[in-house]
Amino acid sequence: MTALRRRAAPGPTPRRRGGGPVAAEARWAWLFLAPTLIGLAILSAGPILATFGISLTAWDLLTPPEWVSLENYAALVQDERFLVALRNTTFYTVVSVPLGMTLALGLALALNRGIRGIAWVRTAYFLPVVTSATAVGLVWAWIYAPSGGILNLLIGVLGLPPQKWVSDPFWAMPAIVMMSVWQGLGTSVIIFLAGLQAIPQEYYDAAAVDGAGRWARLRSVTLPLLTPSIFFTGILSLIGAFQVFDQVYVLARPGKPTEATVTLVYFIYENGFKNFKMGYAAAASWVLFLIVAVLTFVYFRSQRRWVHYQ
Amino acid sequence: MAMHTLHRTRAPRLLTALAAAGLLAGACGGGGSPTPTAAPAGSGAPSANPEGGYTGPEVTISYSIWGDPAELRSQQAIVDAFHSANPKITVDVTVSDWDAYWDKLQTGLAGGAAPDVFAMDGPLFPDYQSRDVLLDLAPYVERDAFDLTQLVDQGVAVFTTSDGGQYGLPRDLNTIILYYNRSMFDAAGLAYPDESWDWAKLVEAGTALTKDDNGDGTVDQWGFYTETTDMENYWSSLVWQNGGDIISADRTTTLLGTPEAAGGIQFLQDLIWKDKIMADPALFAETGDAFEQGKAAMEANGSWLVPTHTAAAEDLGFEFGLAPLPKGPAGRYTSVNPTGAVVYKGSKAPDAAWEFVKYLASPAAQEQLMLLQASLPVSKEVLAGPYATSFEGADVLADSLSYANLKPSFRGYNEFTTILQGELDVEVFNAPNKTAAEALADVVPQLDAVLASQ
Repeated sequence: MTALRRRAAPGPTPRRRGGGPVAAEARWAWLFLAPTLIGLAILSAGPILATFGISLTAWDLLTPPEWVSLENYAALVQDERFLVALRNTTFYTVVSVPLGMTLALGLALALNRGIRGIAWVRTAYFLPVVTSATAVGLVWAWIYAPSGGILNLLIGVLGLPPQKWVSDPFWAMPAIVMMSVWQGLGTSVIIFLAGLQAIPQEYYDAAAVDGAGRWARLRSVTLPLLTPSIFFTGILSLIGAFQVFDQVYVLARPGKPTEATVTLVYFIYENGFKNFKMGYAAAASWVLFLIVAVLTFVYFRSQRRWVHYQ
Repeated sequence: MAMHTLHRTRAPRLLTALAAAGLLAGACGGGGSPTPTAAPAGSGAPSANPEGGYTGPEVTISYSIWGDPAELRSQQAIVDAFHSANPKITVDVTVSDWDAYWDKLQTGLAGGAAPDVFAMDGPLFPDYQSRDVLLDLAPYVERDAFDLTQLVDQGVAVFTTSDGGQYGLPRDLNTIILYYNRSMFDAAGLAYPDESWDWAKLVEAGTALTKDDNGDGTVDQWGFYTETTDMENYWSSLVWQNGGDIISADRTTTLLGTPEAAGGIQFLQDLIWKDKIMADPALFAETGDAFEQGKAAMEANGSWLVPTHTAAAEDLGFEFGLAPLPKGPAGRYTSVNPTGAVVYKGSKAPDAAWEFVKYLASPAAQEQLMLLQASLPVSKEVLAGPYATSFEGADVLADSLSYANLKPSFRGYNEFTTILQGELDVEVFNAPNKTAAEALADVVPQLDAVLASQ
């Protein structure tokens, strides 16, 4: 608390041109950032710009590209499969992000205690994150199997009829959401746990002195002080959700994603590498890029309304 | 106006450069500089070679295939034998799984660093050949007086263009036949399937073989099984057996809108949802082949399944046999799909590459390939000779070529089948939401649009 007050008090800041501590610090900062920035510029910014160039052409990868200006974008708007992919991706994001974050927050709260062997439990929750999507897909294919699958056995115990989780268009996307949420949980849990452990014990002590119960402490101390972690997890989940591909790809085998499960990134992959339409795929990539950029921007702007930095 | 012109003319060039830069950044391990437009060394007349056999300098060529470890071992054995016969040519084999294979191939071709020789799937061949990335081998065929009639006709035909180009040689073939579980037929006291069988007989025997052993309301043994997710596994043969076809000979219109075509696909839907001798495809989608789990008495499917069926039969202790596909109203048809070996147009060693492609089709290489039992040889000599007696049922496979149609092969194949199969899987096979005729009527305009856009 004293630290806060001290920082709030404005004092004269010594400013000197060059050579000062601030400038030196900035130089070091740039130096440390350089490897990442150079990598980003060459490996990300270059291809992103190139993709925009490609999106203005009809290009099959094998013969020289042909300039078509905005035709690809115009065609996208009328492409039913693209609109379906956009709808599916939006559904996936809207369901999987809040669901995943809520579950992760609950788990992090449950795991944030000093009991014996807790490190093992935390590791267990992180394991799916580092497991290959193909292995996860195989395991979930067995869970979802219509006859003899674990999920149908479980709901059978509850007296519910077996479902065709993967091939029934109604369940296909929820099935993918469930698998992805399970797989991605670990990352969010780790971030939330770190956030929880950064909250000073004194706040809880002060709240307890003021007579706050467990619920009040959660609402008035934990959640507000966890907002930076929630914000950070939210942005990672949001961007990740719009780029969902692996889960769709592995669960759709041996066939291909149908109208029920095709997502934007699968659409891009399919057009670029299967249908010889790299220009069209590039245009779809740019639409995806713009959607993610706008959402990220709006999300960042919302930050000052609800994110509290200590 | 000047500004406008500037934009119109310079922007594309700039963008093309950017695109190329992006590709270079994306292409992993692309060695050489991209030379898609530069004339490759061997694009003209092949070097004179009166004696036959490779006379050029020592060279290493790359050879890419898709497949599993067993196929890689088999191809490696062929490559080693080729190297012994041609010590000046070393062949580097790389193998990928199916999806990764095509992704790598396309980025390699775009970056000018494709393998010298690579495997080509029949249906996808026109998409590559028409984009000018394959070397025409016709001049080599002529130079060496290579007799194309020593190879199975359908296999050669798929790589022949209408203007007489020969853009590859077949390497192996796959056809569709009927597998049957002898033990189940014996237990039911039924005669094994033979060439007299037709659709009605298939349904009749399938009904007798579909059983709920413990009376719990779920079927324990299905009469029939096939895969519905690709036309090759069964339904293209059914369309032909009913007098229909997939697309026109000139590859511009789909012929699936006819009652004959719909009737073939309807027969398969009925096997699942009306006759109920085949399980809902979803039931085995996750767990794999029902025949190999000992849960289906018959299976219409590809010759590539012989090795895994044999292994499964040993594990589960049943015996199986092979029979021709049952005849339909319009006769007996099956599907044949050749895998070929093609040469990259930008190859720096086209002479050596041709020598290797030729070797892959030779009786020596074909006899090696035959040991895998995963496909049919393309050499007529091997097919009629050692292959036909190499395992029980091999003669049925060899005979099937006499009534086999080529799996459709045209530009836009993947886009076409994605739309078609998406509709059939969801509306016809996985659930009887529509009849085959209704579903086809709904997608034929889209399919024609795909063909028209090629």
